[in-house]
Amino acid sequence: METLRPKSIDELAEALREAAGGGKRIRLGGNFTKNRMGGPSPAPDVVISTCELRRIVEYDPRDLTISVEAGLPFAELERIAGEHKQMAPLDPPFYAGATVGGVVAANTNGPRRRLYGACRDLVIGMKFVTLEGKLVSSGGMVVKNAAGLDMAKLMVGSMGTLAAIAVVNFRLAPRPPASRTYASSFSTLAEAFAARDALLRSPLQPVAIDLLNPAAAARIGRQGYLLVVQVGGSEAVMERYARELGRAAVEGESEAELWRRIREFTPEFLAAHPQGAILRISSTLSGLKQVMGAISAPIVARAGTGVGYAYLDDAEQAARTLADATERGWKAVMEFLPEKPPAGLVPWPAPGDDFAIMEKIKRMFDPGHLLNPGRLYGRL
Amino acid sequence: MIPQEAKRELAAIVGPKGYLDRDEDLALYEYDGGVDMARPEMVVFPQTSEQVAAIARITAKYGIPMVGRGAGTGLSGGAIACQGGVMISFARMNRILEIDLENERAVVQPGVVNLDISLAVDADGYFYAPDPSSQKACTIGGNVAENAGGPHTLAYGVTTNHVLGLECVLPDGSVFTTGGKEVDLPGYDLTGLLTGSEGTMALVTKVVVRLMRKPEAVQTLLAVYDDPEDCGRTVAEITARAITPVAIEMMDGVLLRMVEEATHAGYPMDAAAVLLIEVEGLKEATEEQVEQIREACLGCGAREVRMARSPEERDLLWKGRKNAFGAVGRVSPSFVVQDGMVPRAKIPSTLRFIRQVSERYGLLISNIFHAGDGNMHPIILFNKRRPGELQKALRAGEEILEHCVAEGGSITGEHGVGIEKLALMRVQFSEDSIECMVRLKRLFDPEERLNPGKLYPTHKGCLEIRQPALRPGAILY
Ligand SMILES: Cc1cc2nc3c(=O)[nH]c(=O)nc-3n(C[C@H](O)[C@H](O)[C@H](O)COP(=O)(O)OP(=O)(O)OC[C@H]3O[C@@H](n4cnc5c(N)ncnc54)[C@H](O)[C@@H]3O)c2cc1C
Repeated sequence: METLRPKSIDELAEALREAAGGGKRIRLGGNFTKNRMGGPSPAPDVVISTCELRRIVEYDPRDLTISVEAGLPFAELERIAGEHKQMAPLDPPFYAGATVGGVVAANTNGPRRRLYGACRDLVIGMKFVTLEGKLVSSGGMVVKNAAGLDMAKLMVGSMGTLAAIAVVNFRLAPRPPASRTYASSFSTLAEAFAARDALLRSPLQPVAIDLLNPAAAARIGRQGYLLVVQVGGSEAVMERYARELGRAAVEGESEAELWRRIREFTPEFLAAHPQGAILRISSTLSGLKQVMGAISAPIVARAGTGVGYAYLDDAEQAARTLADATERGWKAVMEFLPEKPPAGLVPWPAPGDDFAIMEKIKRMFDPGHLLNPGRLYGRL
Repeated sequence: MIPQEAKRELAAIVGPKGYLDRDEDLALYEYDGGVDMARPEMVVFPQTSEQVAAIARITAKYGIPMVGRGAGTGLSGGAIACQGGVMISFARMNRILEIDLENERAVVQPGVVNLDISLAVDADGYFYAPDPSSQKACTIGGNVAENAGGPHTLAYGVTTNHVLGLECVLPDGSVFTTGGKEVDLPGYDLTGLLTGSEGTMALVTKVVVRLMRKPEAVQTLLAVYDDPEDCGRTVAEITARAITPVAIEMMDGVLLRMVEEATHAGYPMDAAAVLLIEVEGLKEATEEQVEQIREACLGCGAREVRMARSPEERDLLWKGRKNAFGAVGRVSPSFVVQDGMVPRAKIPSTLRFIRQVSERYGLLISNIFHAGDGNMHPIILFNKRRPGELQKALRAGEEILEHCVAEGGSITGEHGVGIEKLALMRVQFSEDSIECMVRLKRLFDPEERLNPGKLYPTHKGCLEIRQPALRPGAILY
């Protein structure tokens, strides 16, 4: 199959227009690290990758903003910002291979979202190319913007089903001078949540609060319910945390390694389980207790945000757990699918009453249903 | 014109005390603090989402335009009925429906006043972060429509970062909900698209917001300068030191003197500019940051740095800032204010440009702005009795905004496009970008009945019916 790798935004526009004009089904992506994410998509007629669009469009560190093309590897973005002690703290999985456009289109994020927010919060502007070959821009290079519709929000998490992201502008954050991580094991769920609740009610402002159940903790060589808390700030602030949270913190290499394991939990699981699947359950801070109480498969939870990821060994178990979650009224999707998804699998069982509008938006951008069809959890 | 029959049907939904249709009553609703005026034919005051939906269905049946209204503080002409029709005031949908501290959320009706959310959870140690300077009056519905910011959004983000779900009524009367208390829901982020859409896509009838834990320590500083451009350099220096204050507000000398005369906040009358800087967080963090900020200010030419030593002193320092517009109104009843955005590093050059514009037009322009994020608020004073001076002031404002765009910024950071900045949309966005916005809008409102003539610079604009607010004695802002 032919893969087009346009080297400029004009070429990207041309490729899209031509493919769509010829009624070709398009698979759009960056480095295609997340092929199992989203939904089963029929075989395309043409593959278009943004991986050759890798320019830094604009970066003035004094502004704490950066504009880059979509194909830039996310790790490269972080490296460049890091040179100026700045960061885009999204912590996406598939870190080494993921492109900026893929991270944003898939809305992948990670532990530090508790303090810094997710893609929708860090993206301040965007340029995207429609199937008509038109370049549309939204937002800009300023951290606040009330001019025009915030169309970039539509692209975040769209899984490439609407248009091709060409340029993304981020707000950056200054890197805190010091960082520590506290990892504590609890023998019961109740104790782990009590510790989390105490933290949330305190004036402390952790960067990340993750909770792994015993099955998940075991996969990274730990045990029990593992509450992992990262804090950042000056040495005086680190002292304060030490007084409040104890001395058992890790820092430096071992801290980075612990978070790397958590960040890459998903890719490592998928590699080990070709027929495995991952559910993403969007819950609340309190609802997460029920979710973690009900599912015994490995769960990694953003315990300061209310999102839980459940790792199921095989397709059947995953489908059963998804059905059960939906039955209980939880908002769940099958985020990553088995390599060979069973026929009739619906990764997004219960869309809300805003779904009709989403369908209209899809039709507006892609009337022929050509662009990544089905990639948005089988529904769009 | 609204047919009599439609009026009767609308009145039946909200009851005899639930609407206004006499001219003298409607006059109160023709203005939002901006330059433009237009009178609705009827104002209705629904109390429930069902009533809003029923109202929308009737307007659909008769093809009547609709516009939502919160507190009418929008400034850009967004909340006025420039094609007549029905105005839907959310003043009576002002209940906080749920406070869910355990999940850091509140669910509110759109007419709830911004500050009232923070007041409701204050005793429990929480707050709602976006704090427009108008927060004692403006409503959450208006905030969602405009994606409002405020002094403290520098660190905490603007409305869109704190609104997680909406209940909406479409112009045809159908109801839908987006988002919720949870995050990362699958599908397109309609909450994010609707936030900042200036009430042109749907009427918002319920809002889920994020609540945050109040910081344990707050420190407030006032740095005094003899040269306004030094303020701009200070902002860059603070950023370079990796400090993120929750607020950095700048006021120039012109404004300072007006404010001091009105509020007696204790600002130095002879200064060229001041920065009001606030840091929040852990005690240990704020103590250090205050020291570093003091160094940065002095290093960038501040002649003096004062620190608030008590909550009372802090309130006094903020009092001047929060009452700034009132103070300007005492001196010059007529002024226009813009809220252009520039990248932070472009603040000094933009201040220089504004000074040149002021000289060229022979109009006094004073500056007050959210310096931390580059949100300029030049206030252009003029004498409305002098023929042509309003037009001159508007033109000066446009020139400043064109400059902001040329510097890589935006024509508006908070107030929205409304009617006021319609013509400038084309300065900032390409035809293709505008077309995409218009097509999206039409998916929600195919008949273009909802808040028509705003935001999108299409041929159906309101500009041609523009009637500047020139009532004698009226405050033009
Ligand atoms: C002194 C002063 C200081 C200000 N400072 C700031 C500031 O610091 N930051 C800032 O961002 N803004 C500021 N503003 C501007 C203004 O207060 C904000 O834009 C605010 O969000 C408007 O809220 P409102 O309730 O007054 O809305 P309105 O003016 O009544 O309406 C604004 C828009 O919202 C729409 N709307 C209202 N309610 C709904 C609803 N329920 N559903 C759909 N659409 C709706 C209207 O149709 C209109 O288009 C200031 C204004 C003044 C007068």
